[in-house]
Amino acid sequence: MKRFSHIAGIAALALALASSSCQGKAPAPTGGGTAKEEPKKLYIFNWTYYTPDSVIEKFEKEFGVDVVYDVFDSNETMYSKLEAGGAGYDIVFPSADYVTIMAKQGMLQGIDKARLANWKNVDPGLVAKAVYDPGCEYSVPYYMGASGVAVNRKAVGTYDKSWSVFARKDLKGKMCMLDDMREVLGDALKFKGMSVNETDPAKVKAAADLVAKEWKPNLLKFDAEAFGKSFAQGEVVVAQGYAEVIFAELEETRWGEVDFFIPKEGGPLYIDSMVLLKGSKNVDLAYKFMDFIHRPEIYAEFCDYFRFPATANVPARGLLKTTPHYTVDQLGNCELKLDLGEDLAIYNQVWQDIKVGK
Amino acid sequence: MKRNLGNLYAGPMILWLTVFFTVPLLIIVGFSFLRKGLYGGVEWQASLDAWKAVGTPNLVAVTVKTFVVSMVATVITLALALPTGYRMARSKRQVLLLLLVIVPFWTNFLLRVFAWMVILGNNGFVNDILLRTGLVKSSLRLLNTQGAVLLVLVYVYLPYAILPLFSTIDKFDFTLLEAARDLGASKLQAIVRVLLPNIKGGIFAAFLFTFIPIFGAYAVPLLVGDMNSYMLGNFIADQLTKARNLPFTASLSLLVTFVTTIGILILMRLQAAPERSAEADAAIAADYAAANGNGGR
Repeated sequence: MKRFSHIAGIAALALALASSSCQGKAPAPTGGGTAKEEPKKLYIFNWTYYTPDSVIEKFEKEFGVDVVYDVFDSNETMYSKLEAGGAGYDIVFPSADYVTIMAKQGMLQGIDKARLANWKNVDPGLVAKAVYDPGCEYSVPYYMGASGVAVNRKAVGTYDKSWSVFARKDLKGKMCMLDDMREVLGDALKFKGMSVNETDPAKVKAAADLVAKEWKPNLLKFDAEAFGKSFAQGEVVVAQGYAEVIFAELEETRWGEVDFFIPKEGGPLYIDSMVLLKGSKNVDLAYKFMDFIHRPEIYAEFCDYFRFPATANVPARGLLKTTPHYTVDQLGNCELKLDLGEDLAIYNQVWQDIKVGK
Repeated sequence: MKRNLGNLYAGPMILWLTVFFTVPLLIIVGFSFLRKGLYGGVEWQASLDAWKAVGTPNLVAVTVKTFVVSMVATVITLALALPTGYRMARSKRQVLLLLLVIVPFWTNFLLRVFAWMVILGNNGFVNDILLRTGLVKSSLRLLNTQGAVLLVLVYVYLPYAILPLFSTIDKFDFTLLEAARDLGASKLQAIVRVLLPNIKGGIFAAFLFTFIPIFGAYAVPLLVGDMNSYMLGNFIADQLTKARNLPFTASLSLLVTFVTTIGILILMRLQAAPERSAEADAAIAADYAAANGNGGR
């Protein structure tokens, strides 16, 4: 029996090792970079599920190329990977504030609009909002959206289309908000009529107090990972989150039960862009891809897939075959999240206080 | 000659550990003394900020809570693992039982946590049965509670406790229990004063194998916990991914590593004890001083 004792000991050790490596999220797949000079390959680094496969396939077919599509799940992951030199990508899809950061760090090439025949389709109103990169010198807008609130109509009854829904004590323990300080504090700031980029510590503190005293006691959790699942499975009946995630978890037959709205006070707005990295070896092909995305019928195909409004491309709005989960107009009161630099620490401190819940 | 060859054999292992363990650990130590970069990296400027931040009230509160949760989960795990390990050691079907303990590991850890989410959910398996049998009128909140965190933690780490306990109990000479009974000990006395002191190494190993990973738990409180399940692992992850504070993440991780190392050192002394002199043994086993007289050593 000694033999088995040893096996047991070794197995326990192996299991300990195996599980410690499973604790975090799965790492983003690598393998972008180091291929030799193969002219017919375009390397894209994008958010998980952000460009439909059908769009990628059409591009590959039309131009006779291969698209290598790697994914990241947060701007931070993307940025640290590029900063560590794990590059080799041609096009990356950062959010607004990261365009500023990457441009400041000299990671990006300027965009030559003359090489984008479809630049005329890009919404000038959106370009005007793009203060993170004035005139879109370094970036081509991909999509503009915002998180909203999903409500299970059956369970909730009547409600106000406002952030104040999270102050409802009768829904205590049946609501969740994103585990994202800029989103939640941004909502509270907007609710109090301030800017989502507020840097006055007293004002941020006032917003944090609202979250801690009025909203948090009624929440089941702050969750940016499983809120879609929780909503679909009925753990929560009100969820702050992204429409595409909420509806992806629900069978289409149940979509009628759900009301998704952008609260009337507005909230933080995000714009995701396509940028061209400095080290890109396929500049020509990269321009072709960005131009391809802004063909009205292709952009409409992308929006239809996620039921997005065609925020970045004007002619595509007339080509949508589906009804988007929210409209361009509903985003009217939303405000673009900007990079706060050192002032992010203010948000971090009050957010920590909220989460630790002294 | 022989001795030199032995060193040679250890070479690959030493190289491996140096490259993939010692060097990264030193990098973490280095980072903890640098200034935080604005966008997630570090500035090449010496700073004690990361170590000063370790004493903040928020962190102390999270650490204390994490310690309590880990302790409770570990004690429950050991209480379940001890009888299981004992029964396995005395069984004639050890191979089969060992296999059964290991079977859950054929499924990925995260998948098993998600499975628990399906089982415990409002429209989940347990609530479904409760509703159908009429025991409750509306779904109970089982998921996203502190109880769910404890349950899943115990479930995940139970095998880590069972295996070392089984391995130690298997080596125990059961005739000693009979001897104790012959000498007038009750069943309970025989177990407490003869069995337990002899398997204390296994108990401590099981304790560490469960306590250490639970102390660093991240995914379980995140997925099945509620508002109040925020643990140290989540705190550290937030510092890295949300606050982009690499030096603070480094100093926090080093603190956890330090605590863990102390635990392992104690374990190593305990396990080495039987081969050591009697006084060294006695020092470690002070708690068991009373029982040592009956120990079969």
